[in-house]
Amino acid sequence: MNKKINFNAQVYSIKKNGILFIFILLCVFLSIITPGFLSWANILNILRQSSIIGVMAIGTTFVIIGAGFDISVGSLLALTAAMCVGLQNYMHWSLAILLVLMVGALVGLLNGFLAAKIHIPAIIATLGTMTIVRGLVYLYTGGYPLYVEAPDFAFIGNGYLGPIPFPVVILVIMVALWQFILVRTRFGRYACALGGNKEAVRLSGVKVDYYHILTFVVGGLMAAMAGIIYAARLLSVTPLAGQGYELDAIAATVIGGTSVSGGEGSVVRTLVGVLLLNIIANVFNLLGIHIYVQYVIKGAIILSAVGFDTYSKFRE
Amino acid sequence: MVGENGAGKSTLIKVLVGAYKRNSGEIYFNHQKAEFDSPAQAFQNGINVIYQENSLIPQLTVIQNIFLGTEYFTPFGLIDEKKIYQEYLYISKKLGFELPPHEEARNLGVAEQKLVEILKALIHKTKFIIMDEPTASLSKNEIEHLFRIISELKSNHISILYITHILGEVFRIADRITVLRDGKKIKTVFTKEVNRDEVITMMVGESLKNAYTSPPTTRGKKSQQPILKVENLQRKPRVNGVSFEAYPGEVLGITGLMGAGKTELSRLIFGADKLGGGQILVNDKPVRFHSPLDAVNQGISLVPEDRKKDALVLMLELYKNITLPTLAQFVNKGVISSGKEFDTTRQYIKKLDIKTSGVNQVVKYLSGGNQQKVAISKWLQTEPKVLILDEPTRGIDVNAKVEIYNIVGKLAESGVCVIFVSSEVSEVVKVSDRILVLSRGKISGEFKQGVSQEEIMRIILQADK
Repeated sequence: MNKKINFNAQVYSIKKNGILFIFILLCVFLSIITPGFLSWANILNILRQSSIIGVMAIGTTFVIIGAGFDISVGSLLALTAAMCVGLQNYMHWSLAILLVLMVGALVGLLNGFLAAKIHIPAIIATLGTMTIVRGLVYLYTGGYPLYVEAPDFAFIGNGYLGPIPFPVVILVIMVALWQFILVRTRFGRYACALGGNKEAVRLSGVKVDYYHILTFVVGGLMAAMAGIIYAARLLSVTPLAGQGYELDAIAATVIGGTSVSGGEGSVVRTLVGVLLLNIIANVFNLLGIHIYVQYVIKGAIILSAVGFDTYSKFRE
Repeated sequence: MVGENGAGKSTLIKVLVGAYKRNSGEIYFNHQKAEFDSPAQAFQNGINVIYQENSLIPQLTVIQNIFLGTEYFTPFGLIDEKKIYQEYLYISKKLGFELPPHEEARNLGVAEQKLVEILKALIHKTKFIIMDEPTASLSKNEIEHLFRIISELKSNHISILYITHILGEVFRIADRITVLRDGKKIKTVFTKEVNRDEVITMMVGESLKNAYTSPPTTRGKKSQQPILKVENLQRKPRVNGVSFEAYPGEVLGITGLMGAGKTELSRLIFGADKLGGGQILVNDKPVRFHSPLDAVNQGISLVPEDRKKDALVLMLELYKNITLPTLAQFVNKGVISSGKEFDTTRQYIKKLDIKTSGVNQVVKYLSGGNQQKVAISKWLQTEPKVLILDEPTRGIDVNAKVEIYNIVGKLAESGVCVIFVSSEVSEVVKVSDRILVLSRGKISGEFKQGVSQEEIMRIILQADK
């Protein structure tokens, strides 16, 4: 009996930390075969490239931990980025940011309501809102790219705090903050618990629907924050912005070991997932491998990561 | 095969049929070395397992479930419904089963579902049937029926490995008894050559086990004012107007057949389901429960019947399960103090003697009895005034049962009103100060402590006619 317990505990920790192990191995390996890889400029470049998907994936992690799914965040990024640019014609950029964050939270609230209260399967509910929100983007932009010129606002996407790009600062702070919330607050605990067994949590006297919806609100909020960084980085937004971002965010989350069926996961490991995907892309670019090939390999990575999780559970 | 919870019975079965991979050892079946990669393969070789949990497909009909995987086909490759039906009639007649063949499995009661599974095992030409606590959810009549079928199978040269906690059953039907303890075989004996006490000793080891003593006469109502009063509770079709009062410091037993509405009644009182009619009063004040949270706030707790589905988050650690209803107590300025959680969890591990590798153990890997203790612990932390236990000893071994009875006794002595819901009349009689009998969603009798099991059975059976 005891042996069995220990064995299971081991599997558990390999699964938990395996991704970190692979990540470090990969970095060591790459720094040997690719000369430019470990340069300060390249590292910062990778981090900055990771910031938008990274911030978005924090929200995705919460949603998936709660046994939900959110494919609307790519569209939501486009809407919030477009509004962030467009609204600056009427108000100060800081006010625009505030408003845009509220829009993100509101769409998340709608997603959560549809999933938790109306009981539409989350992937279908967010398929609906994804389509609606993308429509709103076209309506808002009229189908044309929007531009903005605001040096202060641009700092969010292009500035530096000392030697570190500001988007990276945001990413690191957000990861730390949300990891803390996940592990050390009631919301985080209940999110995991209800992802594991919602009925048991309800019968424990917890307002499960409230917390379930809240995971989606975090998803929307983080998508909006990613939208703001996006807008501030490019200072222009086309109606097609953010397409497929939701898939990258989901991929990073599951590569980071968050259980697809909910109940367990970690924001930090999601960040590792984002970095892993970006590093691979980065190296392929350095090696001059064609983007088409990169897609194939990215897909294979997603399948291996999730396959490892699901198959090890199955063998249990 | 007998053994306490955690003795390794279920694991052994799963290893045997290839559901789990074994670390070492060999399996011989029909004098041949057997190597099963999956239960399906074992099944094709003539080993069939009837598990504790139901494994029917809810959306399929009785007959579709029974013939799943062994359908007859017409020459055109279509399913030969006619032939299947004839085969079904033949076998169910032979064995004296009466099941609605075209009903969907999800509409059947638990006991009926179990019968379908047994029939499914029988219809496949199986040489060796493993039954893992098959009677856990069967009524007395159905158990008798099962035993008749087992002896018939025996006379047809089919071997049966019968796993159970209930020694009475073993002595009725088994030729040989194998006792497991701590993952090892203790002994295999001929049933004729041993008695009950000898087997119990083998199961529990040398240590003397604390037998449960009847409740002390000093126990009972601590107050003349009922802590809980329900008036004409209704939720069709299972609960049809139930009224009773429950007092602090008493164990109120509620018993009845499967499907009599016990679980539904428990859930109604706890606010888990919507009330169809009637009223709940706590301390003589009418209350309305919109969710379990409202009930918890009034001091009412429920340990549900289905541990895995309703009581525990299996993938989470022990301490996270125990602090689930009371997490607010462990939060300081919005931050959870894990140290406090660990302390509290350790208290319960000690107090209820939960066998675990530590506070961080994932609940999934605990045995049934220990899981039940976790489910109880999490409610004790809320300091409930009314604790409803729905079938708290289902699927757990004798020893853990006694421990649960003792916990119930202690709680009542400390002034908690314990509502002990169980279809095992023998245990209800043992632990309760007062007993209500539920039949078809109505109370059909009330008894004081000291009533005999037979008397209650008579009421149950009468009312059900």
